[in-house]
Amino acid sequence: MIGQRPAFPGGIKLAMPPRVDADTVVRQMPFAPLLRLPLKQHAGAAPVAVVRAGDEVLRGQLLARAEADTAVPLHAPASGRVLGIGKQSDGAGGTVGVIELAPLPGDTQEPTRGRAFDPDRDDADELLAAIRETGIVGLGGQGEPTHLRLARARQRGTRFLVINGIEGEPGFARVPALLARHGADVLIGARCLGKVLGLRQPVLALEEPDAAAARAMLAESSDRTLPILEVLPPRYPQGAAELLLRTLAGRGIEGCPAFSADQAVVFSLATVAEIGRLLRHGLTMTDQLITLAGDGLREAGNYRVPLGTPVGFALAQAGALAELDRVLVGGPMRGRALGSLDRPMVKGATGFVALAGNQQARLPEAMACIRCGDCVAACPLQLHPAEMGLLARRGEVQAMVDHWHLERCFECGCCAYVCPSHIPLVQMFASAKGQWRRAQASAAEGAA
Amino acid sequence: MPSARPLRLVAAPHLHGGSAVPQWMLHTVIALLPVTLLAVVLFGLAALATIVVAVLACLLAERACAPRSRLDDGSAMLTGLLLGLSLPPALPLWMVAVGAFIAIGVGKHLFGGLGGPVFHPALVGRVFLQAAFPTAMAQAWVAPLASGRVSELPATSLALPLLSPAAPYEAMSGATPLTALKAGEGSAALADLWLGLVAGSVGETSAVLLLLGGLYLAFKRVIDWRIPTALLGTVAVLSAILHGLDAERHPGMLTALASGGLMLGAWFFATDPGLSPMTRRGAWIYGLAIGALVVLMRQFSGHAEGVVYALLLGSALTPHIDRWTRPRPLPEGVER
Repeated sequence: MIGQRPAFPGGIKLAMPPRVDADTVVRQMPFAPLLRLPLKQHAGAAPVAVVRAGDEVLRGQLLARAEADTAVPLHAPASGRVLGIGKQSDGAGGTVGVIELAPLPGDTQEPTRGRAFDPDRDDADELLAAIRETGIVGLGGQGEPTHLRLARARQRGTRFLVINGIEGEPGFARVPALLARHGADVLIGARCLGKVLGLRQPVLALEEPDAAAARAMLAESSDRTLPILEVLPPRYPQGAAELLLRTLAGRGIEGCPAFSADQAVVFSLATVAEIGRLLRHGLTMTDQLITLAGDGLREAGNYRVPLGTPVGFALAQAGALAELDRVLVGGPMRGRALGSLDRPMVKGATGFVALAGNQQARLPEAMACIRCGDCVAACPLQLHPAEMGLLARRGEVQAMVDHWHLERCFECGCCAYVCPSHIPLVQMFASAKGQWRRAQASAAEGAA
Repeated sequence: MPSARPLRLVAAPHLHGGSAVPQWMLHTVIALLPVTLLAVVLFGLAALATIVVAVLACLLAERACAPRSRLDDGSAMLTGLLLGLSLPPALPLWMVAVGAFIAIGVGKHLFGGLGGPVFHPALVGRVFLQAAFPTAMAQAWVAPLASGRVSELPATSLALPLLSPAAPYEAMSGATPLTALKAGEGSAALADLWLGLVAGSVGETSAVLLLLGGLYLAFKRVIDWRIPTALLGTVAVLSAILHGLDAERHPGMLTALASGGLMLGAWFFATDPGLSPMTRRGAWIYGLAIGALVVLMRQFSGHAEGVVYALLLGSALTPHIDRWTRPRPLPEGVER
């Protein structure tokens, strides 16, 4: 098969569980007694609260207004009463406001609807503004406000709109659910984005296991400008936007042999579907579709979860076992372990993994690096994890940056996955990056 | 829903591909089993004693050098097995033990233990013996399938340190096919060479079994197939060319491939993950370099066999090859 060779080196073959019918099911998560909504749920500036303690709000009503260009508004995920606006740590030494909302028991929870949009009727600027007003941010795990990425792509000029339908993490099943349940939303969302960017036909990229579902979705539609389907052989971390673009650019897209990777812009399938659903019904973002996975859940699967739902509540609804070993934000390859389950789910979450595990079953102790080079072969960016690991052990962070491009590492986990000595390479790189950033910051302060 | 016990804060990734250094060692030992058994059949008690002493002495040396190190990672055992397989069968056992202590003490722990060595510890041990006891190393060969090999140990095996050499063992053979060839005494039958029915080091004689063991390791992805491919390919091509130029002086390709320690070296020594280059491009260069050195030393030096020194020189090249083939990061500049 000519052109099947991926355009990035390395990567790994992960054992992905086969797709089953249950993957297309989406269950509605009930409202938790208290929803906690940090004002800053995304990259960029936080919106400014427009409600006060004691206010009664309707589901979908504005809670915080986007004033800065990089902010998106925040809406009430449920009809209820604002209990107050508290503070919580933003994880970087500062604090951020948190709106506490108690959903009204017994309320119909019918969402408020505004004006519905239609990509055939409304013009590009109206659609771009409408996308921002829904409060949506990238749902592929990046958390960048969608309107910002769109505006940048529009300014830069792009030839391809790529919809990223690559699941990425083993055990996650949002893609089959979106293809089976939200086909119309996906197509309308894609047309809205296409209109904003002045592009006709989007490209839908997915991996082989989901190809049949995508073809079925396209076959149901009578749309004239259906997405071009690009089916890739499964490989991790192909779903990372940068690598996906390289792959597509290298192999070419139907009707266009090869192009430069910066001529395209990527949005995740979840983002596109949500944009379509919100705009066509005149809704605002109040919940999102996530996967709850792991052997610690009796009812693992896809759920539509209201924003601000505490992780512990969501896991309990999915039948969490009494004893959990660890809980991850995100999937098993890149997910961060949580120390507390009180945290609320914020915009952009892709899912949570609850592992029952076994207290005794610990990872084998890390051994010395034997310089086998397997990590070098696995790194999709062709960095040198082995050299960086040896430097990290000696605390030579500056050398890691200067000679081995530490800052490029996006912590996909391939190197640690293949390491026969079980060296926690990703952890070492993450902490080295933290050290380096702090050193940079204090150097900048010293200079100022 | 607070969990009944504290959640564990483990860093990502939470999955592992399952490859582990101790398993690699185990697979390598498995791959060497057939050739080890054949050695015992061919050379009898002498081979068995050599292997057992080499392994035990390596384990003992490991304990002595690093009291807290783990013997269960299999690396000391493998070093011992490889050392035993690379020695002449009737070598005095005390020399075997000395070689093992040099292998582990000097070859491994002087370089920082597992992951540190620049040269293969077993080869360091063997080269030490070669330098210290050249006569014993050159004469302790045993003819295969000699009678009495399973009932008694050769007198040389039991020789005591620093005493005059014992009476020569009757089945002792003064020459391997390569030394005979060098001396112009003609070549062994090709089939005997491939099957291993010739005199030689304990575990180097059967090219076929070594090849099968090596393929097993390549299939299990314990070793990088590029290294033996490049190494043996180079030897094959160069031997064919030399043989074509002067068939009198240079053995043919199949003879060259099957003789001496080439197969053992190509599949089990050169492929040591810690001593070979880290990149795929590097693996090709490294295999090619060792292959060329083997032919060069065998055909144009005073030695009959050149594999050991070619391997040592090859691993000395590794850091340089790693530098030449440093991976280049993918260019930046793609909008994420």
